[in-house]
Amino acid sequence: MQSRMLPKYYLSQEIFDREQAKIFRKVWLFAGLSSLVSENNAFITRKIAGIPVVIQNFKGELKAFENVCLHRSAPLQQGFCGRRALVCPYHAWSYDENGSIKHIPDCDALYRFSDAEKQSLKLREFGLKQVGTLLFINLSDDPMPLEAQFSPKFIELLTDSSNQYDTEVMVTTWHAKFNWKLVYENLRDLNHVRYIHPKSLGQALKFQKHESDIFVDEAADPLADLSPQGLRTEMRRFSHAGAEDAEYAQSRQYAWMSMVEPWQGVHGYYNWLAYPNLHIASGTGGYSFSIENHIPVSPGETDVEIYYFTAKKKQAYATSHQVLLTHMHYSKKVVGEDIAILEAVQSTLHHHASIPRQGAYETQNRLVERWYTTLMETDHEI
Amino acid sequence: MRSRWIVGGGEYLDLVYHAWKQASREEDVQKIEIVQGEDYEFDFSIFKQLSPDNGDVFIAVDDRFGNFKRMELFRAALERGFVMASHISASADVAKDVGIGKNVFIGPRAVINHGCKVEYNSVIHAGVQLGANSHLRSSVWIEPGVQIGSGVKVGAHAIIRTGAIVHSNIKIGKAAELGWPQIYSADVADKTVYDIRYDEPIYVYNH
Repeated sequence: MQSRMLPKYYLSQEIFDREQAKIFRKVWLFAGLSSLVSENNAFITRKIAGIPVVIQNFKGELKAFENVCLHRSAPLQQGFCGRRALVCPYHAWSYDENGSIKHIPDCDALYRFSDAEKQSLKLREFGLKQVGTLLFINLSDDPMPLEAQFSPKFIELLTDSSNQYDTEVMVTTWHAKFNWKLVYENLRDLNHVRYIHPKSLGQALKFQKHESDIFVDEAADPLADLSPQGLRTEMRRFSHAGAEDAEYAQSRQYAWMSMVEPWQGVHGYYNWLAYPNLHIASGTGGYSFSIENHIPVSPGETDVEIYYFTAKKKQAYATSHQVLLTHMHYSKKVVGEDIAILEAVQSTLHHHASIPRQGAYETQNRLVERWYTTLMETDHEI
Repeated sequence: MRSRWIVGGGEYLDLVYHAWKQASREEDVQKIEIVQGEDYEFDFSIFKQLSPDNGDVFIAVDDRFGNFKRMELFRAALERGFVMASHISASADVAKDVGIGKNVFIGPRAVINHGCKVEYNSVIHAGVQLGANSHLRSSVWIEPGVQIGSGVKVGAHAIIRTGAIVHSNIKIGKAAELGWPQIYSADVADKTVYDIRYDEPIYVYNH
């Protein structure tokens, strides 16, 4: 079967802009962890779909605003996270929990704003939702309900597991040279594991694909319901949680495992894939977790932001950060193997490249591609 | 003849063994390799053969697990009553007033200026230059040729790799790792890791 994915979907700036507008500025996107903004005045800054965003704690209430001062467009907060009131460093304009002006120094003497003008000044605010300890942001003026994007079961699994996350978090970002969609095509294709990760992940986990998992090629026909509701319902199928039929080859115990309370009810490799750009995995049966957030930068560039943490610690212990660093280095090896092959794939692409040929096992990717190309090639919206 | 047991593993064990052997003419210097199991834990039974009455130990484990593995063995030896003298290479240039803790290794041609303090279980490899009044806390690991200015404070378990230059009067947080060959001219937060394999530093929050 021929894929619907033409080279332009990975190469064209015009398609990239359309994706940003029709997907990334419409859906709920991962924006961080509530543990990073748990105290008054704590903040995190992000650039999401090209828009600088600040998520700020106002006496326990979390709000998301465009991170740009209304006076001279300076960023209100700087750095990945920190603790500081929402005050512009440039001329000290400060803002309240509604994004309205709290104070402008020497306002009457220097600016001479009328009361009406001052009251009209308001930061652009974005939808923000907390799912367990995960923060999701929506850049749309009229955000869809979170439940339109994720099924109740998926939300429940995210909530339950993330409530078990420890607050000590290790974070870094890798700058990869590929289109963000290649990552998710790769994550939905477990057949690559034994070839790309023979000495790392392939050793620890044996992914099995059963005949019964290979469904009829539903994606052969065009999408039936092109209404926003229909397109959202279809999109909801792309986010799922589960054990991926992975057979855990070993159940090695390490000293640190006795220091944490694992998330219950999982064995081996469990993962959550939240469309479009969030992948959470636990390769240790709920004892530790990784979050990969793939941030599209340009058609050929993606920032891979990676978070590592264990399940909640029973009590603090001196080597906990080293446990996280060991995980990080292991994952650098595994994800590094993925990044290497995906960068190689991206490097072969050109506008007249041949169209990928898919097999029966690639049903999930075919469903996503049908939906994605419909969105890109028509005026239908979600 | 008293024994000097060099206990550890890997290349660093070899390096320390040869350094002690060259320096000690009146001791029986022996190399004792201690293995880590599949769960990375040490087999401490090795200490059963050693007694503080017959000799002393030096712990020679590298920077693995943020120097915590060396720390673990150091503690085990301390609990068993070993003295753990430090080793200062004959060619190192160490100012008279420098305070040096137990089980410290100072390699050939290292220069340690006046007023410095090097706390226990730290490793300063060959050719390191440490400016005046700098203070290294316990269990740090400084690789060959690293240049550190004066008045620098290096937190416990920090790692500074070859190619790093540390400006005077800054603070390197505990368990930080300076692995990018560059000049560090601002304070580095605790547990921040600059690893050459990564595009950005690795940060830890809420620790």
